Amino acid sequence: MVNIVRSLLYFVLLVLVQILILNNIHFLRLVTPLLYIYFIIKLPTGYSSVRVTCLSFLLGLVMDMLSNTPGMHAAACTLAGFARPYIINVLMRENLPENTIPSFRTFGYGNFVRFALLFVILHHVALFVIESLTLFDPLFLAIRILGSIAMTTAFICVAESFNRRTRKNED
Amino acid sequence: MRRLLDFLIAKRHWFLFLLLELLSFVLIYRSNAYQQSVMLSTANVMTANIVSLAGSVTSYINLRDRNRALIERNGQLEIELLRMQRRIEMMAADTTSFHGFAGGSPEDHFPYDVIISKVVNNSVTYLSNYITIDKGRNDGISPDMGVVSENGVVGIVSTVSDHYSVVMPLLNPKSRLSCKVLGSSYFGSMSWDGRSTQYAKLDELPRHVEFKEGDTIVTSGFSAIFPEGIMVGYVSSFERQRDDNFYSLTVRLTTDFHRLSSVMVIRNFRQSEQIQVEQEARSNG
Repeated sequence: MVNIVRSLLYFVLLVLVQILILNNIHFLRLVTPLLYIYFIIKLPTGYSSVRVTCLSFLLGLVMDMLSNTPGMHAAACTLAGFARPYIINVLMRENLPENTIPSFRTFGYGNFVRFALLFVILHHVALFVIESLTLFDPLFLAIRILGSIAMTTAFICVAESFNRRTRKNED
Repeated sequence: MRRLLDFLIAKRHWFLFLLLELLSFVLIYRSNAYQQSVMLSTANVMTANIVSLAGSVTSYINLRDRNRALIERNGQLEIELLRMQRRIEMMAADTTSFHGFAGGSPEDHFPYDVIISKVVNNSVTYLSNYITIDKGRNDGISPDMGVVSENGVVGIVSTVSDHYSVVMPLLNPKSRLSCKVLGSSYFGSMSWDGRSTQYAKLDELPRHVEFKEGDTIVTSGFSAIFPEGIMVGYVSSFERQRDDNFYSLTVRLTTDFHRLSSVMVIRNFRQSEQIQVEQEARSNG
């Protein structure tokens, strides 16, 4: 129950932050951080693959409706959400407690950053390649992908470290 | 049979994944048709309300600059008006029989009017950018109307709901605009290459058109969407196209798409008539 409320809160909050604030950031007129996928990263590992994929699709669809890009975010999010359990499996082969939420504390710094990075790479490459179906320009595409990956990963790490501090204060 | 069912159930997330991806791509490809669905865009009332939240806050932030730009524009127009009046007076004084404006008022020859509207959502970072404005079908807007700001052309209305519309700006690879160099009557087609929000490309301009860097590019008025002579930008550089018979120009756009806050939608009373007549001609030919 707590997990569902927490996920719902993350969903609404991240979509609003993305639409109202982050979509207005165009660093060097190239790079926009896409923090909203932090929602998928923070889903508990206990969720079934079906559930994660559905939630990812839903998140992408809402983003699409709010940014006039039918299908693009949905396709990229579905792919990333579907691959998430496999990424976690590869990185955290050793015993992970049942139903943990990925964070610095549960995954350790290195593994969390690696996990976030792999996840962001997968999502961004899919998103930008789909977007460039209308207009193909390899160098420009590569710069945009690399810049956005760096920026989004940085934002996720910042969000995560803030998250950790508040959690500690509560304890 | 039982093993097949077991297999299907064990791999159900794969099927779900494929199904959802398929759905996404259907959405992507269907939206590439000219009209995109109102349901899944910001023309939808619910989503438009959310994004207009941001618009209503940011519209106050650059109010000072907007005011200055408007005052400047106002001054320019006033001077132009005076110049025109003077010219008319001179003509009227010079010739006793001047029929230029005789036979009906000038409004008869200018079938356009404008609807002022506020930008509630605007994107410039994507490849396919869209702008949402807060006027819709109930305010008399329909698809294929031209949209301009006080600085120049913005784009063309693509989707309309009752209270909101989505505009496809020049900053969208799918948009095409018929333009010409001010003072000549040869026209080319303007499109965007997805790189800088300040520059667009004007292709297919015949090679014998004379122009130089800094010349003004305006709308050609052939499409029934924009009247002739609306500001688009300045020539910033040019090169010959591969087949050597046409120029390809880089145009610096006068519209600053980063800070659009209010736009004007141009309504042409005779657009449907012109399109109908053109279609008839095409089917006859």
